[in-house]
Amino acid sequence: MDPAPGVYVGVANALAAVMLLLEFGMLRQALVRDQVRLYAAQSALISVLAVVIAADRGLPDLYALAALSGALKIVAVPYVLRRLLPGHHGRRVPGWLSPQEEHPGPWQPRDEPPGVAGSYTLSPASAVLASIALGAFGFFCLGSLHMGGLTVPTTALAIAGAMIFVAFGLMIIRRDVVSQAIGFFSLENAISLTALVMAAGLPLILETAFLFDLLVAVVVFGMLIRAHHGSAGSLSTADLTRLKG
Amino acid sequence: MSAALPIPVIQLLQVLTVGLGAPLVMGFIARVESRLQGRRGPRILQPYYDLAKLCRKEALAPAGASPFFLAAPVIAVAAYLTIPLLIPVLTSFPLPLGYMGDILGGGFLLALASFVVACAALATGSPYAQLGASRAKTFSAITEPVVLFVVFTVALLTGTDLPYALAATVRSSAGQVVRPAHLLASAALFMVILHETGRIPVETHTGTSEFGMIEGARAFEHSGPYLALLTWGSMLKQLILFTLLANVFLAPWGLAASSEPGAVLLAIVALLAKAGAVGVVVAVIDDSFAKLRLFKITEYASAAFLLAVIGVFTLYLGGG
Repeated sequence: MDPAPGVYVGVANALAAVMLLLEFGMLRQALVRDQVRLYAAQSALISVLAVVIAADRGLPDLYALAALSGALKIVAVPYVLRRLLPGHHGRRVPGWLSPQEEHPGPWQPRDEPPGVAGSYTLSPASAVLASIALGAFGFFCLGSLHMGGLTVPTTALAIAGAMIFVAFGLMIIRRDVVSQAIGFFSLENAISLTALVMAAGLPLILETAFLFDLLVAVVVFGMLIRAHHGSAGSLSTADLTRLKG
Repeated sequence: MSAALPIPVIQLLQVLTVGLGAPLVMGFIARVESRLQGRRGPRILQPYYDLAKLCRKEALAPAGASPFFLAAPVIAVAAYLTIPLLIPVLTSFPLPLGYMGDILGGGFLLALASFVVACAALATGSPYAQLGASRAKTFSAITEPVVLFVVFTVALLTGTDLPYALAATVRSSAGQVVRPAHLLASAALFMVILHETGRIPVETHTGTSEFGMIEGARAFEHSGPYLALLTWGSMLKQLILFTLLANVFLAPWGLAASSEPGAVLLAIVALLAKAGAVGVVVAVIDDSFAKLRLFKITEYASAAFLLAVIGVFTLYLGGG
């Protein structure tokens, strides 16, 4: 019989597992709005995990990090992302659905950002199964390194590896710019998770620098999304395979 | 100190609790559901009256149906009534017949009951009953891997696949409760239970539209006492699965640790309360989600599979 790890390690592992599930949720989600919400929830869990680790190991720095990361990733990034999405403020931009969906264009509420429902390259169930395989690869790759000691939640570390791969999977499977941006941001979440679990005492200034890097990436991605939407008339990246405009 | 109950009596009480409590739980869920919809709803005891009324009605069989058509409901109910002997319904200590079968044994009995009902539906020649039977078998084949992975999790956690062992493991420490493998397996099992009991988001429990029906369509040609047996059977299945979820996975507390009458009585009340609590969650889900389209059920199953697989993964590194 397997002895149970302590409550702290168990909670850290369970939080990491829920983050991985949210990553799968983003993979599955059809609306940009919901993807952004899931991203915010995942970021909230990172902050909770930081608080848990801070309380367990007595690292007051991490409380500050949790607050900063929360402010940035739960509030600022989703806000900026929503502002930069085309179709904000109820302006209806013609042709914002992906080409697969335009005929016979499904009903879209006016205030919603564009739908990305048609951007699957695989059916949702197959996408989940393929990502399980990808996640398993990442999980066992990181798990087989046998990093960490008794205090490091090894499983959380391996789950972070799985999250990295599923985030890549999200960017590959979904053919629209918003999903790819969300995949990139959640990749950052996975890396934050790795850092928290492996090196909880990472200097605060370094983590802060990472976070502001992320904010820059959000703005850049937002501009790219707008530019792509402006030139292609949709969020789909399917047209990018053409060499001429 | 009062005299202890003989062990066979407790064993019988497990069966009686599930057998007589099942319609109560069903009635309770229907009541909660209608309250959430702003209706007054039927009284909680209504399922008992329904069963009694069906028992007084005439039983008919389609022309040309084999005797198996009438035997199936009896076999199904017999299978369902055997399962409470195998799982911890009232006591935290294993009863003598508890080791007669493990989780797989219980699973086989559930599958046997579902199989004979499907065969009876096929024997009728009615298109809707056959459609229900075929769909029920198809979708239970899709959820089967989830159940298997949940069993793997149990096996990795306890080294056995006995329900009593898992309940004891979960009770043993708080670390066992919060470990992700346990939580993920419980969540996956809950999703399977929603599917198996024919609840939203898989099937409308009270619907009358044949095209959305899965399990509900199988009993179309049965009538009278046989229909009562089938209805009772689905109530039994529901309470058995709820008991499995509550007493083995989520909350294996409140079971009788000794064979004293007081403790056993308390365990009966606790079981019904826990089943009621699970029922409230089910009713809330019933009222807040829409039914999935038939071909979207694979996505639901893939989500449950994801939970179960990640649960098994986390165990492989010792930390899950």
